[in-house]
Amino acid sequence: MAKTILAVDDSGSLRQMVAFSAVDGQDGLTKAKERTVDLVLTDQNMPIMDGLTLIKNLRELGSYQKVPILMLTTESSDEMKAKGKAAGANGWLVKPFDPKRLIEVVQKVIGQ
Amino acid sequence: MTMNTLPIQELRTLLAAVASHGEQHLLEVESDLQQTAFLLNEAIEKLSVSFMKIHELIAQQHNLLMTSGQCNEAMTFALNDYEQKIGDEVNSVVTGMQFQDMTNQLLHRTINRVNGLKELLRELAEHGYDMDANREHNDIARFLANIHETFDNSSHALSGSLRKVVGQQDMATGDIDLF
Repeated sequence: MAKTILAVDDSGSLRQMVAFSAVDGQDGLTKAKERTVDLVLTDQNMPIMDGLTLIKNLRELGSYQKVPILMLTTESSDEMKAKGKAAGANGWLVKPFDPKRLIEVVQKVIGQ
Repeated sequence: MTMNTLPIQELRTLLAAVASHGEQHLLEVESDLQQTAFLLNEAIEKLSVSFMKIHELIAQQHNLLMTSGQCNEAMTFALNDYEQKIGDEVNSVVTGMQFQDMTNQLLHRTINRVNGLKELLRELAEHGYDMDANREHNDIARFLANIHETFDNSSHALSGSLRKVVGQQDMATGDIDLF
């Protein structure tokens, strides 16, 4: 069965690579509420709402307590990764990413 | 020559001139950086759309040839090999295009620093301390030390608020941690 992935990133070039996307955390939260997806892939540094805040908000929604959320960001410090884990992220991927590796990770996380 | 009063007005004028000239140059820097960020974003978005479209069209072309019934075994092998190589190159493009996200964040950090520096210069020109030309030299020295301290504090606050979020030095792909 086809899976739906919500990609939240303020980078337009990245959003073009996926079908269902949002431009920042607030937009991502709105779209996630409209339609429960199988995986959320989010950037950290975005205007209006950052990725960590988005994750915290999503985890408060009943329908998103078990949905895998991956952070895809330029940030690579252990401190930020720990914050991501504490917020409820299931993984931390540092940009730039290799599309093949990203697909492998996504498949692993959503159990395909 | 004996000076009866310290050249306070001249000092104020100098500080205001430093701030004014500095701000004008920083405005130009900010404008150029914003234009650079805009042009980069436009170019990369157009390139990304085109690369994805080329990839899609090549895949359609590949399928058309494969289903035409005109390919012998050698041609089929060659076409599949080309498809694999094109896919690898597109993946490299997708990885490479992500430099836009990183450079964009670096440019905006620089723009924010330029804005902060403009604020610092304004403080220099519009300081609120009294400065009386008839005061003793020590008072004037204390006044200048106060300006210096304020400038230092504001500068440190600015640096503290501009956390570096891009540490990448090359386009090697980043780490993956699953929790």
